[in-house]
Amino acid sequence: MADGMITLTIDGAPVTVPAGTLVIEAAKQAGVLVPHYCYHPGLAVAGVCRMCLVEVEKAPKLQIACATTVTEGMVVKTQSAQAKDARQSVLEFLLINHPLDCPICDQAGECELQDFVFQEGQAGTRFAEFAKRFNPVEDFGPDVLYVPNRCILCTRCVRFMEDVAKEPVLNVSERGDRAFIGIHPEARLDHPWAGNVVDLCPVGSLLSKDFLHKARAWELDKTASICTGCSQGCSITLDTRDDVVVRVRPRPNLDVNRYFICDHGRMHYRWMNRGDRIEAPLIRHDGELRAVDWDEALDRVVGILRGASGKAVALVSPGASSEALAAAKRLLSGFHWTGAFQVVMGEEAPLAGVPNLALRSERAPNAKGAEQLGYTRDYAPALAAAKTAAVVLVLDDPDCTVETNGALIYLGTVLGENAPCRSADVVLPITNVAEEEGTFVNRDGREQRYFQAKPAPAMAQSAAWVLGELAQAIGLAEVS
Amino acid sequence: MGFPHKSHPKETVVLSQYFGDADARTIKGWTKRGGYEALAQALTMDPVAVTDVVKESGLRGRGGAGFPTGLKWSFMPKEKTRPHYLCVNADESEPGTFKDREIMRWTPHALLEGTAIAAHAIRAEIAYIYIRGEFTEPWTIMERALADGNAAGVFGSIKIHLHRGAGAYICGEETALMNSIEGKRGNPRIKPPFPAAAGLFGLPTTINNVETLAAVPHILKRGAAWYKGLSLSNPKSTGTKLFSVCGHVQRPGNYEVTMGFPLKDLLYDMCGGPPAGRTLKACIPGGSSVPILTREETEACLLDYEGVVERGSMLGSGGVIVFDDSADMVYQIMRLARFYAHESCAQCTQCREGTAWTTKIMERILAGQGKPKDLDLLLDLSENMTGKTICVLSDSCAAPIVSGIKKFRGEFEAYLAGKRQPVMVG
Amino acid sequence: MTVTEDYQPVFTGKVLDELQTVLQRYPNKQAALLPTLWLAQRELGWISDRIMAEVAELLGLTPAYVKGVVTFYTMYHQHPVGKNFVQVCTTSPCNICGAEEVLKALLQHSGAGDAGATSPDGKWTIVEVECLGACGFPTPILVNDDFVENVTPEKVPDIVKKYR
Repeated sequence: MADGMITLTIDGAPVTVPAGTLVIEAAKQAGVLVPHYCYHPGLAVAGVCRMCLVEVEKAPKLQIACATTVTEGMVVKTQSAQAKDARQSVLEFLLINHPLDCPICDQAGECELQDFVFQEGQAGTRFAEFAKRFNPVEDFGPDVLYVPNRCILCTRCVRFMEDVAKEPVLNVSERGDRAFIGIHPEARLDHPWAGNVVDLCPVGSLLSKDFLHKARAWELDKTASICTGCSQGCSITLDTRDDVVVRVRPRPNLDVNRYFICDHGRMHYRWMNRGDRIEAPLIRHDGELRAVDWDEALDRVVGILRGASGKAVALVSPGASSEALAAAKRLLSGFHWTGAFQVVMGEEAPLAGVPNLALRSERAPNAKGAEQLGYTRDYAPALAAAKTAAVVLVLDDPDCTVETNGALIYLGTVLGENAPCRSADVVLPITNVAEEEGTFVNRDGREQRYFQAKPAPAMAQSAAWVLGELAQAIGLAEVS
Repeated sequence: MGFPHKSHPKETVVLSQYFGDADARTIKGWTKRGGYEALAQALTMDPVAVTDVVKESGLRGRGGAGFPTGLKWSFMPKEKTRPHYLCVNADESEPGTFKDREIMRWTPHALLEGTAIAAHAIRAEIAYIYIRGEFTEPWTIMERALADGNAAGVFGSIKIHLHRGAGAYICGEETALMNSIEGKRGNPRIKPPFPAAAGLFGLPTTINNVETLAAVPHILKRGAAWYKGLSLSNPKSTGTKLFSVCGHVQRPGNYEVTMGFPLKDLLYDMCGGPPAGRTLKACIPGGSSVPILTREETEACLLDYEGVVERGSMLGSGGVIVFDDSADMVYQIMRLARFYAHESCAQCTQCREGTAWTTKIMERILAGQGKPKDLDLLLDLSENMTGKTICVLSDSCAAPIVSGIKKFRGEFEAYLAGKRQPVMVG
Repeated sequence: MTVTEDYQPVFTGKVLDELQTVLQRYPNKQAALLPTLWLAQRELGWISDRIMAEVAELLGLTPAYVKGVVTFYTMYHQHPVGKNFVQVCTTSPCNICGAEEVLKALLQHSGAGDAGATSPDGKWTIVEVECLGACGFPTPILVNDDFVENVTPEKVPDIVKKYR
């Protein structure tokens, strides 16, 4: 037992972990998932569901793995007859009042009750001919529905609101088998981080109204991404169905967002599915914008750049990838360059129980990345300078009101009929965050990668690719 | 004394000496009777010395667990770096038990004195006496006695507060009691940590029962050897115990006897046995959470911790519930199951769902709709509810079910076979 | 919840003074919750959602938290009750000594009809409760704060008369 490490045996496999580790965590290292409900690494231990009962040699009774700390030489058996019987009985007790809602329940396919019953539950019920307990569905707030009948009283939601959000708006009401999760009429579940209770709920009891009946869990493809809602840079998973983003969920990241995302980020995905995209590259021909192929469009830009000199202004979105931003700057390296961005601001909303985690007032994912590359927040001056610039490059800023006497090159996902940049000389369709791979730098300087969740629509290409091709065409050396 | 009866000659009167004596409730009356001398003496002793006396006496927790009291006190941290707490468990709610109520309403100062001595022994600055909400009369009497004691300055620097419960049997569990004082739902806590390490408000705490603490002044005054000498059977069970006898007996009440006293003599000699014309059928010796004894087991039982275990049950709180041959065991076991279902705090799956399911099956059997497999089902559920939860309320529900089916199976089968008039339970 | 009716705070004047005394017995405000709820019930007769919010604000808690505590403990009334709130023990030791007959007699003589219901004249609410800790004095009942021992069906008419 040197240097604070403990060695124990779990299901016959030796495991060495730091002292103070819980058996349920140590078991993960042995490749053993101890079935559980109320335990969650992001929450304080409750020990109430009793699902994680395991046999510990020399202990007179079964022990709950979520509340037992490892000791040197401990021998743990999760698959002994005793342990399995205990788990099977917990599942039976849970199912006596839990309705057979799987066909209509959103959680089906990602339900921990389904999973463990399938794995080691009983095939039939002994609770014959008794009525199940019934309570009507409750609307807890802006996005959360509570279905009491399905609730297994694991209290993860209550503990999250109390200990992590530090706003105890959920309680356990009543006692015994009459108990349910309750709120008070004077408060709604409208905390900026409340949506996490839906993820935490192991069953289909707490549901997102936004996702209600939208898709089946097994129809979803999951892609790792980074939230674009603010500069915190939470790790998320984009769930897509038939190449449409239908849901955003947090991805565990112990350094940034632990297991949580805020509701703003959670709901911030519909724009990724917009259908009114720029379909093809456009170039100005006889005063009108005309659709062309990429070669012709890129040629046009190269021509513009070769024929221009002096000032270049890049007005960019702080939501563009670092690759795109770097490429944009490099492309204009032959000019007297100004790069600027503006960030939409909003109210900050911290998650009180987690250090350094909040919905940040800067509502963009890569302001820091832009800054690191030399872009500034002096947007108004840049806008003014653009008037007399030779080349203005607008990157993913559909509402940009720039006016210029020089050439205007617009890279974006959308361009409204009346958008100011309709006066651009070249319009190049680019992908959004769900359609490309890239890097964001969060407010703490952390570089994080996001991945492609759905195909690019029509002829869109990633901005990084577009700008890289242009740089190569002009003859700029490769970035080392 | 089995108030309102006079003490029976076979009783060993120590705690119950002044039951029924209204003057003993007053501080004047109490000090006239030698009260607060033990406390004054204890306050001059080193706390460890006080603990040693109690250890030597063999006093064991009278709330139900029977844990050696002096040993429990010695679990408190040796080095005092933080405040310590004492909690007094006056939540008496175990069916069949009504002794702490008598101690509080007749000898409130005995409890206060014992509390203060214990607080001194464990170096607690503050003691909370948790009185169940329904004990309105003991509350008023304790309030008055506490005020008088404070006015007379007998408690030294120790602060004693009363805390009123609000209707929850589970708050008699020591960790749930602490949560209730902290202003929370009365949910039992997982252990470890144990109260002596992290208890009330996260600080080192000891929880003791009313009857346990009421014995402490006597032990201090008359000596550990005296208390230890009060033992009729097993030397590990010493002193006297108040047995609350109720149900089908002619003279219900509290009876104080020396540990090891024969249960048979208690029931027949002191309590007069069942009403005329009836015979004893069953007896629960330690409050409803312990296994039921048959008549034979009852009549052979010696009342100490080991003696009752020998008969297959437990001494528990000493609440002796007597059933004669007119009792419907199936109905009463149903009623006990329902008690546990009402009182379950809802944390643990087995208890929350199991107590209610057990009750439903029992009601079904009584309604004449029992199924042949119901008894096996009840036994299986009871096993699943035993030894797997945060506290033992779940196990306590199983105890009357398992012992009832084992020892009174015929009564169950009569309902199942339709040989008994069904009872519709509301 | 918008407070449309005029809500008169309960913790003012003397009651507020009492609360201050209660607060001194505990190291933090949360621990004063149970005694504060008792004060609230004494003043209002029951614990409404609105008074839960008042208590919550006084003690630095949330209304939802207070509600979770209130609904745990059976002695806090979650709705108004009759002038006489009667608790009758029917757990086994009293049950085998006739407790259910006592309950029936009370329901009948008081006019309350069903357990838990309030009588038409508003004077009685009678409920079945679990063990009251006086098993040797069957059947014990509580009429508000009065603990009455050894009640039998024969004694019920007089009891009802006394408290009506």
